[in-house]
Amino acid sequence: MVNEVLFEARNMHKAFGPTIALKDVDFTLRRGEIRGLIGENGSGKSTIMSIASGMQPATSGEMTYMGKPWQPHNMIESQHAGISMILQEANTISGVTVAQNLFAGREAEFSKFGVINMFKMYRAAEEMLRKFGITHIHARDQIDSLTFEDRKLTEIVRCVDDDTQILVVDETTTALSLEGREILYKLVHKMADEGKAVVFISHDMDEILEQCTDLTVLRDGDIIGHLTREEMDAPDAVQRIRYMMVGREIGGKYYREDYDSSHSDEIALQMDHISFGPIRDFSLTLHKGEIVGFGGLSGCGMHEIGRAAYGLEKLEAGSVTCNGKKITDCLTAIQHGIGYISKNRDSESLILDAAIQENIVLPSLTALTGPAGFISPASEKKLSDGQIDAFRIKCGTGKQYVNTLSGGNKQKVSFGKWMAKGSEVVIMDCPTRGVDIGVKQAMYALIEQMKKDGKAILMISEELSELIGMADRIIIMKDFEVTKEFTRSADLKQTDIIEYMI
Amino acid sequence: MSEETKNNSGLIGWMKKNGAQAAAYSGLILCVVFFSIVTPLTGESIWLPAKLEALVRNVIVLALMSVGAVFVYSLGAMDISIGKQVGLYATLIVVVGNATGSLLWGILLSLVISVIIGCINGAAGEVLHIHPVVSSLVFMMVLTGVSSVTYNAIGSRNVALSAFKVGLLKEPWFMLLVLAIEVLVVSYLFNFTKLGKNARAIGANSVSAQQSGISLVKYKMIAYVIMGICVVVASLFQMGYTASASDSTGTGFEMNVMVALILGGMPLNGGMRSKVSCALIGSFTYALLDVGLPMLGVQPNQVFVIKAILFLVVVVLTCRKKSGTLPR
Repeated sequence: MVNEVLFEARNMHKAFGPTIALKDVDFTLRRGEIRGLIGENGSGKSTIMSIASGMQPATSGEMTYMGKPWQPHNMIESQHAGISMILQEANTISGVTVAQNLFAGREAEFSKFGVINMFKMYRAAEEMLRKFGITHIHARDQIDSLTFEDRKLTEIVRCVDDDTQILVVDETTTALSLEGREILYKLVHKMADEGKAVVFISHDMDEILEQCTDLTVLRDGDIIGHLTREEMDAPDAVQRIRYMMVGREIGGKYYREDYDSSHSDEIALQMDHISFGPIRDFSLTLHKGEIVGFGGLSGCGMHEIGRAAYGLEKLEAGSVTCNGKKITDCLTAIQHGIGYISKNRDSESLILDAAIQENIVLPSLTALTGPAGFISPASEKKLSDGQIDAFRIKCGTGKQYVNTLSGGNKQKVSFGKWMAKGSEVVIMDCPTRGVDIGVKQAMYALIEQMKKDGKAILMISEELSELIGMADRIIIMKDFEVTKEFTRSADLKQTDIIEYMI
Repeated sequence: MSEETKNNSGLIGWMKKNGAQAAAYSGLILCVVFFSIVTPLTGESIWLPAKLEALVRNVIVLALMSVGAVFVYSLGAMDISIGKQVGLYATLIVVVGNATGSLLWGILLSLVISVIIGCINGAAGEVLHIHPVVSSLVFMMVLTGVSSVTYNAIGSRNVALSAFKVGLLKEPWFMLLVLAIEVLVVSYLFNFTKLGKNARAIGANSVSAQQSGISLVKYKMIAYVIMGICVVVASLFQMGYTASASDSTGTGFEMNVMVALILGGMPLNGGMRSKVSCALIGSFTYALLDVGLPMLGVQPNQVFVIKAILFLVVVVLTCRKKSGTLPR
């Protein structure tokens, strides 16, 4: 049964008006495979699987699934037929319990005469969760009381059942905690062993190299090549894959190359014995020209520290000061030169349903205001176009809506907001989440430049390699407490750090 | 780069982006063309001076209110107390006018009350964490009570301005002049100052707006106050029309404003696509139906049915559809 062709696409073509997302690609998926799909934003890697799972139709081409022609009309139809896709965005129903989420659309199985037997549903849900090795989520929990990571896990449980033949995991792992990832990886390998197939769509090269049995690289809607497990184990595999993805040699420089952790003695931001919620007596001094990195598992409290530094948390004790001024809310934070890039890019950092220009100028409106409250459209355009050029945001004009941009370009807009404002302290929470390597490289270069310009940076990240590569100081947190602090060094390894996180 | 162009290319992209506006404009143009062609068949014309005057009289109060309401609707909020506010201000202007012999004091008093109500309505949502409609609902009930008690005390269901005449308020040219000034001022505030830009940003994404340093309470209050002032101006003309006010003055106006704004292509959840022009287009479409349909022999009570159908068409055309999923 293993190696038997499970899904096949021939000449799959997808066009959006004049733009071609997929150029007549052929794609074969066999039983027992864990296939990685890798490529830059907009390369078409998600498009293939979204067509296979019925999210959108192809412009032309044929698909076969389990030996029969396959033309799904929607995702529900696909899921019933055994193709499940876990999406990047949160997809749970808010306001109800975990069990109601797990069995959404399947209530009939638990109802008699139109009355749902909730007891039965809770029991079934509890069983389902245990089967996946999840012990910390309970069927009766309100879905909104769960963290983003746990909601994602709930979604996975909902998507996968015994009949699932193909599981598509689209950029999901970036949203999962380490424990969550382990649960997912275990599931993925179990499915492969059972002769089913898994497709991993990811930016995370390490993850792909570790978990997948085969790898397909896409670029600009074309399949550029396949790698077998042996080829993936070759010493130059990473370089080769990057080259295939980008189509040119990525310069050797990625992270910072210097190991000079010196910075100005001037204090940019001071957190003085602050306490709020589960965080007790936390202190931090951030200097001008310094990059302080925060690492840990999600839920360790590092995101809350970032929020507190920006005045978003109500402090029970202690104070946050910037240039000698007390920060009480984000209004005062901005006034004293602090910028904040939330980890929730689409819901907090950006107004998706607004133009690029409207987003970039938003914190700077006060500065742009002239006599009689007048804000000249020309000055807004100038400010915004300056950032669009500086970040090379791929767009027609600044009037283009942000929700039409790819993830990487969206993130550039949220950076541009604070650069336009001229912020001296920038708090960035997961700045490169869901961004491909080309853009990542540009962002690291930018962060390095910001350091040279004397800006102070608080970098909160779930990627250890990024912290090791960029930060002058790395603070590791666990259970809302600082467990260890590392100074920048060439010898620092991820393995040294991980033990302080778990 | 592929994704960027996708959504905006071609007619479909344009319609997606400007659908509401296009539908609103074509709705108004369609009404104008339709009535221009059809009304002469019944021996009348909407282009006769008398009819145009009727149109202006019909549109003025609604337009003055709607233009101000753009600020509040751009927040994604609405205020259902404004109809009763019109009743209160019109009554005040008449009563105070009769007592003092001048409109000035009644207008000033109304402005003070409108600012207070605006501040409370604007702040309530943020401070008490309730839906902003709820506090305006409270005001609607309070004002209904006040009006009922007042007219009971007066012993009549209406009061007339007897101390002096206000002929100017009935002049169509003066109505249009005041409307033009209000549109200019509100457009300026809405498009070229922080007040409007922040209001739209709050409507589009209040969390993001707050994290960009916008005080939600402050700008919501300002939006409600601007609307309140426009409501006072509208009340003046409502009162001037008959030189009187009654206990039913203004009843249901808040719904007319909502209908006008939607007819004008205003998104009900506010945000960046909110425009002052929505108020004008919507009000004129609404008034045109009021003036034009009876000329075709449609009974006044049937006018509502036709308005409802048009309303439904606009809503169906403009409601935001879930856009297709983009490739990543």
